[in-house]
Order: sequence, then structure tokens, then C-alpha cells
Amino acid sequence: MKKDLLKCAAILVIIVMGLVLGGCGESRSPFAGTYKSVEPFAGKNFVDLTLHEDGRGTWTLAGKTIEFTWVVNEGKIWIYTKTGAIIIVSPSDSGRMLSADMTGDWHPGCPPNACIVFKRVSEGG
Amino acid sequence: MEATQKPEGTGGAAGLNLQHLGQEVSVPAGTRIVSQGEAPEFFYVIQSGRVRVFRETEDRIRTDLTELGPGTYFGEVALVTGQPRTASVEALEDAKLVKVSKQEFDSLLDQNPQLARHIIQQMASWLVAGDTRLETQVVHQVKLRQVSWFDYLLMMGLSVILALVFNLYNDNKIALIHGWGQTGVPEISLDQAKQELQKQQAIFVDARKSAFFDQEHIKGAMNLPVILFDLMYPMFNFTLEQTPGAKSKTVIVYGGTISRRMDVDLARMLVSKGLSHVVVLQNYRAWDTAFPVEKRKPKAAAGMPLGLPGLLEWIPVSIFVLILIPPIRRSPYLSVFCRLLLGAIFISFALSKILRPAVFALNVVDYGMMPSFGVNLWALALPWAELVVGLFLILGIRTRAAATLIAAMNITFIVGLVNAILHQMPINCGCVGEVGEPVNWLKVMKNTGMVVMCIQIFLYDRFLVLDRGGFILRDRKI
Repeated sequence: MKKDLLKCAAILVIIVMGLVLGGCGESRSPFAGTYKSVEPFAGKNFVDLTLHEDGRGTWTLAGKTIEFTWVVNEGKIWIYTKTGAIIIVSPSDSGRMLSADMTGDWHPGCPPNACIVFKRVSEGG
Repeated sequence: MEATQKPEGTGGAAGLNLQHLGQEVSVPAGTRIVSQGEAPEFFYVIQSGRVRVFRETEDRIRTDLTELGPGTYFGEVALVTGQPRTASVEALEDAKLVKVSKQEFDSLLDQNPQLARHIIQQMASWLVAGDTRLETQVVHQVKLRQVSWFDYLLMMGLSVILALVFNLYNDNKIALIHGWGQTGVPEISLDQAKQELQKQQAIFVDARKSAFFDQEHIKGAMNLPVILFDLMYPMFNFTLEQTPGAKSKTVIVYGGTISRRMDVDLARMLVSKGLSHVVVLQNYRAWDTAFPVEKRKPKAAAGMPLGLPGLLEWIPVSIFVLILIPPIRRSPYLSVFCRLLLGAIFISFALSKILRPAVFALNVVDYGMMPSFGVNLWALALPWAELVVGLFLILGIRTRAAATLIAAMNITFIVGLVNAILHQMPINCGCVGEVGEPVNWLKVMKNTGMVVMCIQIFLYDRFLVLDRGGFILRDRKI
């Protein structure tokens, strides 16, 4: 019985390790940095987007900052807000430009009426 | 078995008057005195030392039956029945035995009815003991095939406890019941809302996701998805400022469903931003019949590559081919394959949902079938149930109960998917990926394949399982 438990424990460790390693995702470092929206949002202020390498990030507009977490998946940046919304951001020009799909869904290409384009201001988070 | 211990109250070997019978032999420790399967020639009486009686199968699985000491005897059964030896005997320590030939044994029985009666009694008691052992084994096998309430309680209880504890320490924790204890917002009846609309004193705001808004909304309404409130409010406010007379108009929020009162949530948020005259519709589900609406042709969610989990999900479809072949359909090896596959699929699905329950809760809300009080509880517990049940399947613990639970989950998913397809809902499946996963009939087929796999496991699984009596590497037969 003791051997059985050891076998089970070994299988569990292998599974958990596989899952943890498999779930690490892609490296965030190519996209970590600070970005600014190319055009003023809502005709007023520019949006400052900061992506820290540890997976945290901030979205600042008119002095108000919203925190979020982010991962890189299939070459796209996934921004997770506290409310459960997901913003899919498509990088281009080697990560210098980002297009955020503000519909909360994924569309092939950024929908023109719901798209915010960011330009990298500085690298690293 | 062909050995016996001296029964209580009967004469031992000393009482058999062996003075003129047999031949004394000395046996060193470790010597095999009798081998299972050989022809019987002698009856043995132990004078000193100890021996062990055991059986061994062809594949070397050994079962120790008993140990015998001085004054007891063995080897009589094969001599009585004339059958080959049914067990082996080896000396545990240096022993002295009296070795009696078959002829001598027969004459001993003729002259000693007490010994003959004792042997008959012994054989009868072995029969009873054998029946009891057989019954124990059958009960063990039946228990292995049984599904008890305890199994379900164990898995579901474990899932709920893990979910609640994890949620306490999760950075992305959610409330057990969404909106619990929050203050209400003023409501407006449909008739009053219509009057406000006629007087052009109302601004309708749709709180749902943009995909739902695009499909159907009240004519002239604005869209401010509650889940993107923080990010989208500046745009909404800017639009409001550009609308003449907007500040004095009543903001009527709608878009709540049975699964989440997004209208109430959004109204609260707007009030917190300083907007006055914010109300929600009293009969929150009647807006599409009470007001003129704008409709667009439903658009399915776009498909995004899902990687390995997406590919894994396709394999259950192959089960429809495999079950057409009877020997494979009943194979316990197929059960092992199904268990490993379903386990891997459900564990991989669970992990993405466990870390971000708020995202999964919104997926549940999209389907619009779960009452609002259950959405967060479901979003917390289901991924843990998927993980626990997946692990039980892979490890071979309570596999029939685990298969039943996975089948139940899949049937729930199928009901949700079919409902979403028939109502042309613009939603993501939320099965493997978090976004970019269309709801379609292929998803229904994959889930149906998984149900078939569960049935196969339920009926035929018996290898590589950890049952109540230990690990079964191969089929255990009685």
C-alpha cells in the first residue's frame, strides 16, 4: 500500500510539473515597457499603458490608473482586468506598436471603431 | 491445501502411534519439502521445527497459506484425493519430520478411525474457509465495480473545499455571490420609460458586451459594457458631453439577464461617477418587446488557434469509430486510454479557469442559463471539480464515479452549447480558450464523444486502477 501511495505521488508530481511548465506561457520581455496611445482617447487625454515584466500592468487615463495582469499567448498580449474582461492586444513592428481590441472579444484585426493604437515610449518594465 | 495444524482437543502426531511407521528425516531451513503440482508420495508429521505452506501461480505470485509447528502434519489431502499436490511446503528452520509412505498412510487410516475423522473434519472446514475467502474476493470485486455516494461526496466535497480555500488566497478572487449586499438602484416601469422616450427625455444605455449589443439593442441606445467600464467610461462620458441636453435626461440602463444584473451593476457605477437620474428598467427582460429595436445578422465569434488543448479535444471524436469495433469497444485498454485522455483534457481545461475565475464567471453569464446567485459558485467550483475528477481518472481512483461526473459535466456543456447555437448567441465557448472560441456543432460532437468515453470507462474499466484493496496492474480474476 505504501508503494502504491508512492506511485500515486510520483504520478501527481509529474502531472503537476508538466502542467506548471506547460502553463508558463511565452516570454513577456519582448513587450514589457511603457506605451502611449497614438491619438487621444475619447477626444481628451492620451492613454498610458505600462506592461511590467512580472505580468502586472497599468492603464492610466486622465490621472486615473487601472491595474491589470497580462500574458503573452500565441504572439498576442492578453490583458486581464479585475472584472474579468479580456483585451486582446496585437503587437506589430517588432512590438513597437500595439493595437488593443476594445470590444472584449477577439476579432481578426482590430475593429476600427473599437481600436486603440499604442506606440512604445520606453522598453522594460 | 494439503497441510493442517493440530486441532484443539484431538490427538496430535504423538497419538497416532507412529513408532513402527515412516522414516525420520532431518530437513535444513529453506528446503522445499513438497512442491505444488507434483505427484503425492508421502504424508509428513512434524517432530520439531516450523514449515510454511504456500501456493504460487505461474507468474510467480505467491500466497502464504499457513505455518505449521511440532505435532502437526501435512501432505494428507493429496494422498486421500489422489490429485497432485495443491500447495508447496518449505522449512522455515531446521526441522525433523516423520515421512510416511502412501501404503503406510492407508494402513494408518484403516487402523485409526480417529485420524480419518479428523482429516474429514479438516477438509470440511477448509471447504467452508475457501467459500468464505471466495465470497470476500467477490465482494471486493463487486465493490470495485460499485459506485457509492461516498465517491461523489469525496470528489465534490474536495472540489468545493479546494475552490473556497484557493479563492481566499487568489489575487483574482471573486465574491461567492455576485452583487450580494450591494445597495439597489432606482427602477423605472416600462410605461414610464416609454413616456420618457416619447418626450425625448431618456438615454438608453446597454450594459451588455458589444457582441450582444451589435446583434440587437434598443434603437438609439448607447453601449457601455459593464465589464469594460473602467476603460470605456471616458469614451462614454465624452459622447454624453457631446449630446445636447444629455445632462438633464434620464439615463435608463438595461441589459440584465437571469445570470447577471449587468444593468444594475452599470447603474451603480454611473451613479458613483456622479451621474444623477440613473435608473434601471423594472422588467429587465422585456426591453426587446417593449421598445423598438435595431437588429443585425448574428455573427459567430471568430476562431483563434487554441494550441495543444484544442488538438487534444479533437481526439474524443475518434471514439465514434472505435466503438464500432466490438473487441475494441469492450477493451479495458481502451478504458485506460479514455481515462488518460479525458484526465489530461479536463486538467488542462481546469487550470486556465482556476487562476481567473472572474473570466470564467463571465463565460457562464454569457450562456444565460445559470441563476445569478449560482454563477460565481459554479465558476469557482467547476474548474476544481474538473481538476480533481481528471486526477482521479488518471490515477485510477474511483474511476466509475469520476467517469459519471465527467459525463454529467459534458451533458451540462452540451445543453448549454445547443441552447447557444439555437439562440444564435454571439458568445465564446469558454471550453478550452478564454476568447476566440466559437460555439458550433463540432463542439457538441466533441462533448458527445467525451460522454461516450465516460460510458466506456464506466462499463469496462479495470486495469491500472487503485481500488480499495491496492493497486491492480492487471486483471484480477477469481
